Amino acid sequence: MTIGPERPGRLGLRARLIAAFALGALSLSVLMGGLAYFTARHTLIVEQQGAALRQAYANAALLRNALGASVPSIDAQVTSLDTSRSTASLLNNDGRWFSTSLSISRSNIPSSLRREVRQGHVATVTAPTSSSPHLMVGVPLPAVRSSYYLVVDLSDLDHTLRVLLAALAAAAAISTVLGALVGLLASRRTMRPLTEVSVAAAAIAVGDLTTRLPVDRRDPDLGALSTSFNTMVDKLEDRIERDARFTSDVSHELRSPLTTLAASLEVLESTRSELPERAEQAVDLMAGDLRRFQRMVADLLEISRLDAGSSDLLLDEVVAGELVRQCVSAASQSLPATEQPPMHISARADAAVLLVDKRRVERIIANLLENASLYAGGATDVTVAITADDHGLEIAVNDAGPGIEADDRHRIFERFYRGVTSGRRGTTDGSGLGLALVAEHVRRLGGDVRIEAGREGVGSSFIVTLPLSQESSA
Amino acid sequence: MPDRILIVEDDERIRSSMRLSFEGEGYEVAEAASGEAALDRFAVGGIDLVLVDLMLPGIDGFECCRAIRRGSAVPIIMVTARSDTHDVVAGLEAGADDYVTKPFVPKELAARMRALLRRSRSDEDAAMVTIGDMQLLPDEGVLRHPDGSEVHCTRTEFRLLCEMAATPNKVVTREHLLERIWGYGYFGDGRLVDVHVRRLRTKIEPDPALPRHLVTVRGIGFKLVP
Repeated sequence: MTIGPERPGRLGLRARLIAAFALGALSLSVLMGGLAYFTARHTLIVEQQGAALRQAYANAALLRNALGASVPSIDAQVTSLDTSRSTASLLNNDGRWFSTSLSISRSNIPSSLRREVRQGHVATVTAPTSSSPHLMVGVPLPAVRSSYYLVVDLSDLDHTLRVLLAALAAAAAISTVLGALVGLLASRRTMRPLTEVSVAAAAIAVGDLTTRLPVDRRDPDLGALSTSFNTMVDKLEDRIERDARFTSDVSHELRSPLTTLAASLEVLESTRSELPERAEQAVDLMAGDLRRFQRMVADLLEISRLDAGSSDLLLDEVVAGELVRQCVSAASQSLPATEQPPMHISARADAAVLLVDKRRVERIIANLLENASLYAGGATDVTVAITADDHGLEIAVNDAGPGIEADDRHRIFERFYRGVTSGRRGTTDGSGLGLALVAEHVRRLGGDVRIEAGREGVGSSFIVTLPLSQESSA
Repeated sequence: MPDRILIVEDDERIRSSMRLSFEGEGYEVAEAASGEAALDRFAVGGIDLVLVDLMLPGIDGFECCRAIRRGSAVPIIMVTARSDTHDVVAGLEAGADDYVTKPFVPKELAARMRALLRRSRSDEDAAMVTIGDMQLLPDEGVLRHPDGSEVHCTRTEFRLLCEMAATPNKVVTREHLLERIWGYGYFGDGRLVDVHVRRLRTKIEPDPALPRHLVTVRGIGFKLVP
């Protein structure tokens, strides 16, 4: 199971959820709004047509009666028809046209309607005039050789429909926004468990293996996710513990035979002068490699204790100058070089106070000095420089060896990593864990270790920074 | 007469090799393969120092230390699997004077043994010191209650008290005590001093939680106020 490459431009789950909700709300409201609009429009038009027909019949009846009773003025008769602002009446009497409106004349009546009426049918038509749509009803009055036309201005209806359309569009817009908001809330709820998983996974990645997700039993989907996530972490923790325990167990098991070997060899060494020369050489070889073996086991135990977090910090307030001098002197005793490396200690560093586990500092300095003597082509030019500033104490172990490539500088702190230049093994080879232990100890002491190229391009500097005690920096 | 060491260790090979090594150093050696055997052998007498592995079948090393301590001030060195506070402090509380961790270098162990076997009185100022209402008699190696009865101290506790009593009212650093009593250098384990001082307080202080005679000087060491 793999996770595909990231596709740029693709929306995230959250954005897609919001978009889906917004689109859903939009299409639903457009559908409902459209339905409402067309229903309303149809109903209104039918109503308007019915009203227009009724009025046209009524007006036509009035005119027929009036014309039949030979009234003095046809014009007055037409004008007296009950017309509202939105309607106009036209009368064609024997080819003469009378109109109640100045803007509506015979030219506005479509010829198709006039033909229908001429043939004796009542007809309606919706036609545009100069400004707005109009509904026209034509009623033939053959008895008085006339035809009557009612023209109804539809602009009111049109306006009503426009307002309705605008209202529905606004409603659609609002419901789209609401849909997006609901989508946002829903995505938050949906994303929350995913965010939790992501936070938990990040915590595990940085080494907190006690991280677990709360299991929500009410939600079968999320419950299953949390359960399988937790199972995965359990398994991972188990495995890591098993690996660590294995290293620790192996080292523990090796200690008993090592103790026997060391004690027995010491007996042999104490009678060394009585041995034949060849046996003497054999005893020396054994002694050398036994010390190396003991050192390896001690280093393995130390690193597995650090991994298991069971190694205690025994913090003491110590004076930096004295501490480093003691460390260098103690470390030098176990190194092949006969002389102690020269030390440069600044006045401020000499008096600085550290709150440290001094035996860890001793391990750090011993391992750095050992590294310098093993891998830097002879211990002759090793120097130790100690300086202090507001940030902390800096202990630099400088060698005059071949130096370390920039790419190798961080890898050199990995366990059992041996640089290219360290291919040739000396007689007192290290355990391969020395610098890894340095890095671990420095980290536990709240400090930092780095490698720089030596001065004038010769050799390298291993620089350890340790925080000063609160009291001394105050 | 050479000092006799009792080795309490269940691994027969380690026991045999240590016997060879110690005999080479001029000690007499007695062996015990279990806590029970160790207590039986100790009861017979003539033991000057006990070397006990904490991991033993049956009666473990801690219990073994406690049982020996009930009736004896003999120096005890424990062999621990780890140098973690839990094991070390529990062992010291149980009555051990010092510890070594496996795999140890026999020369190192020999140095530890020599330090604890050193006869402390020879080079001490023999003056009597009064601590509270108790009397410390370095010459006789006893600490007396006002009623004349003896306060039971281990040899290491007694030497620790004498060391501080030599400079009353002056601060003695942990490093100094580690060097004088245990023979350690700068990197000695300060927990050795702390646990022994704590044990001494239960014997000489009226209220061990509020010490008046054995006072801690934070960050430096201790001071004896008579």
